[in-house]
Amino acid sequence: MVETAETRAVPRVDTALVHAHGIAALVTLLLSVTFGIVVAFQLIYPDLGAGRPWLSWGRLRYSHTQGIMLGWLGNAFFAFLYHAVPILSGRAVTSARLGHWLFALWNFAVMLPGWVLVLSGVSQPLEWAEFPLAVDAVVVVALLMAAVQFLPPFFARGLEYLYVSSWYIIGGLVFTLLAYPMGNVVPELVAGASGAAFSGLWIHDAVGLFVTPLALAIAYFVIPAATRRPIYSHFLSMLGFWLLFFLYPLNGTHHYVFSVIPMSAQLTAITASAVLGVDVIIVVANLLLSTRGAGIIPKDAGLRFVVTGIYCYLIVSIQGSLQAQMSINQAVHFTDWVVGHSHLAMLGFASFVAAGGLVHAWQRIAWARYNARAINYAYWLLVAGLLLMVVDLTIAGLVQGRLWAGGAPWIESVEASRLYWVIRAHGASWLLAGGFVALLIGLTTGPRGGGWQAVDEGVGAAPVDEIAPALQPLEGAAS
Amino acid sequence: MSRPMGRAVRKAYFVASVAGVLFFVMSVALLGVWPRRVIEAETAAMSPEHTVAMSASALRGRAIYAREGCGYCHTQQIRYLHTDMARFGLPTLSWETRFDYPHLWGTRRIGPDLSRATGTRSADWQFAHLFAPRSIVAGSVMPQYPALFDGAPDRPRQDARDLVTYLDSLGRARELAGPEGEARAREACNCPDDEMKQMAFGDQVNAHPARSRRGGAVPPLPAAGDLARGQALYGERCATCHGVAGAGDGPGAAALKPRPGNLAAHEYTDARIAEALWNGVAGSAMPAWRDYPPDDLAALVAAVRSLDATRTEPALPAHMAEIGARVYAANCQQCHGAEGDGRGTAAAELTMAPTNFRQQRPTLDLSLRALRNGIDGTPMAPWGSRLGADEMLAVAHHVRGFFAGGGR
Repeated sequence: MVETAETRAVPRVDTALVHAHGIAALVTLLLSVTFGIVVAFQLIYPDLGAGRPWLSWGRLRYSHTQGIMLGWLGNAFFAFLYHAVPILSGRAVTSARLGHWLFALWNFAVMLPGWVLVLSGVSQPLEWAEFPLAVDAVVVVALLMAAVQFLPPFFARGLEYLYVSSWYIIGGLVFTLLAYPMGNVVPELVAGASGAAFSGLWIHDAVGLFVTPLALAIAYFVIPAATRRPIYSHFLSMLGFWLLFFLYPLNGTHHYVFSVIPMSAQLTAITASAVLGVDVIIVVANLLLSTRGAGIIPKDAGLRFVVTGIYCYLIVSIQGSLQAQMSINQAVHFTDWVVGHSHLAMLGFASFVAAGGLVHAWQRIAWARYNARAINYAYWLLVAGLLLMVVDLTIAGLVQGRLWAGGAPWIESVEASRLYWVIRAHGASWLLAGGFVALLIGLTTGPRGGGWQAVDEGVGAAPVDEIAPALQPLEGAAS
Repeated sequence: MSRPMGRAVRKAYFVASVAGVLFFVMSVALLGVWPRRVIEAETAAMSPEHTVAMSASALRGRAIYAREGCGYCHTQQIRYLHTDMARFGLPTLSWETRFDYPHLWGTRRIGPDLSRATGTRSADWQFAHLFAPRSIVAGSVMPQYPALFDGAPDRPRQDARDLVTYLDSLGRARELAGPEGEARAREACNCPDDEMKQMAFGDQVNAHPARSRRGGAVPPLPAAGDLARGQALYGERCATCHGVAGAGDGPGAAALKPRPGNLAAHEYTDARIAEALWNGVAGSAMPAWRDYPPDDLAALVAAVRSLDATRTEPALPAHMAEIGARVYAANCQQCHGAEGDGRGTAAAELTMAPTNFRQQRPTLDLSLRALRNGIDGTPMAPWGSRLGADEMLAVAHHVRGFFAGGGR
């Protein structure tokens, strides 16, 4: 990136689109978190919602995960891409008008109708694919538009300058385009166990080919940009990248261990899951070694979110490798352990990194408001909420698994869960909600351009002017 | 950078891109396409020769199940694990879910697995439970679905009927396949040495501990149950239907047909209570409680006994005893048996076992009401228009006389 800035004129970042997607990300985040909190409370007050269909647990639960994956992370990734792609490729994104269409489509033709339809009872009962097929079609169109928007800048000047973050961006956009239709459409056409095999693929691809590559693209961008140091080892970057794209898709069947899906497919996935843990150790070691000098909890807010996300990435991946193994899977599958695991992944890893990317980009928008104190609060509230929730649900899962294995009447496992569900709802969810609200406040209040000051105060801060030319508002852009 | 270098990089990237796409294709081939071929071949070979497709009602119910996210708390997949099998039954074979577009396997179990739901709950239990889950299962966290009803659990709309039809269809095909079906599947599997695959075959397709059944052997329970423990358990598990005082008037009772037993208005033998707990009461909403340890069941026996609020009834004038015996022999003994043990010649054909008066003695008042009005939801017909008041009084005394519960 530094070379890029030095070797050629840096194109302008369309800060208006960064900002628009950032705000959309935060709004959809708060809605999705609200859905999550309501379902958490419904497990301890099951009559909350009074039987109104659109407030019932199942529909809100569908809305929660689709909102987090597509609304929050999708928008946050797009915001980051509008910031990073011009800097990485040395060229502007394809078209601002295309950007406006993509923004409108993603938020008003995917998220809005998706939620309205799911809440009114039009959905498909597939994990990470709950929006109905009509909405899926719009998602695919939007993903195509995203590919047209963000990929050509990388290829326009030849490929010599592809930076590691760019690999992940290209990989993430291309493979999501392949995996999304497979996961959302194939189980509608292929019945039962065969359909479940494809669902298993998608459950892992959604995380492994959409969320993880784009989150790692942010990490590989923000860490060197914020510390002003190069990545520790490009060999490790390369190794990590290729192992990731080789191994992630092969993990799918580990969601259906001990099922009727052929054992050789299960064993392939279990083996790939184990090796994937090794790959993540490589990736995380490389990333953390690149933060040398910034401290364990870096001062720069964007970097701090990203690094914390990377810690979670390490823990959640090793946990994932272990829980795919038959002996552990047997004890924890179907329990709250897995719910804790997925929150460690989507909240601890992906959301922290996405928030870090958003904060990082925000700091560099000259006209964006930035409230450093609120962002600091956001960080600590989210860390506390995450820890409480994951530890709580992990213990809950072990308790449930024990009761099931011991042959206790089913209802005892439900009653034993109550304490943990109370802690999650009354403890963790308020901390997390507070954290996300603080993040919204942090990025919508405070002085305009306050982020630059924060960058100056951050560890390893170099003159922001060096990259500043890229980050002036576009002419005619909203301010 | 020089141009040749640029070309080399370009080639490298081209190769890398092809390799990357191939990784994805490989994953889909290895974990999607190939398993599908294996599964489809297995499904074709192992499914029973003639199976019933899902009814239109079940299909509509399935859509409701899908729409409400039922599959996010209830799995439909019994794994090849002894812990799953002990609770739910034989592992789910691929042919059992072959009409599922898309599948509803699920990855989280908050409520129990439903792949063998057929026959485990009566329809009125399901309706009452869907309408207001906690009126039936006090500790349940299931959402209520009043929108499927016209204001009351005994007034289900078509949606609720469809959903219950669907639930009751789950696992039925496998049960109906019977021993021939199991034999065919085992033969098609052709896997005598594959220990895991062999787990899928066995006698007990459905192992649900709540499934009621008639006449299953009851294991011996400890003689003296812990009353305090029993009363606590009764309050948590039984009072929703039977009421706190055992009068059969709990919050879930109204929608159930037959109404839950009035435990306060009966004297029971211990064996009768143990039988109802272990086997449930087939034909009613009373499930079995076979997942409870013997100590708990014995404690419940003690708790139910303690609810007995029957009093000494006035004696029958001697000249009427003969009338009672005659009326009973003419009208009752076909079902309830000559000895009052519920084993009359017609008993086996009835949807619900006739009362065994040797093991339970209703109050005179309850007997008279049952005689006059019948018992709604059971084969017990109303006799009020066919028997005179004296005859009913006499026969009510007569059936009370069968009770052999002195020593209990």
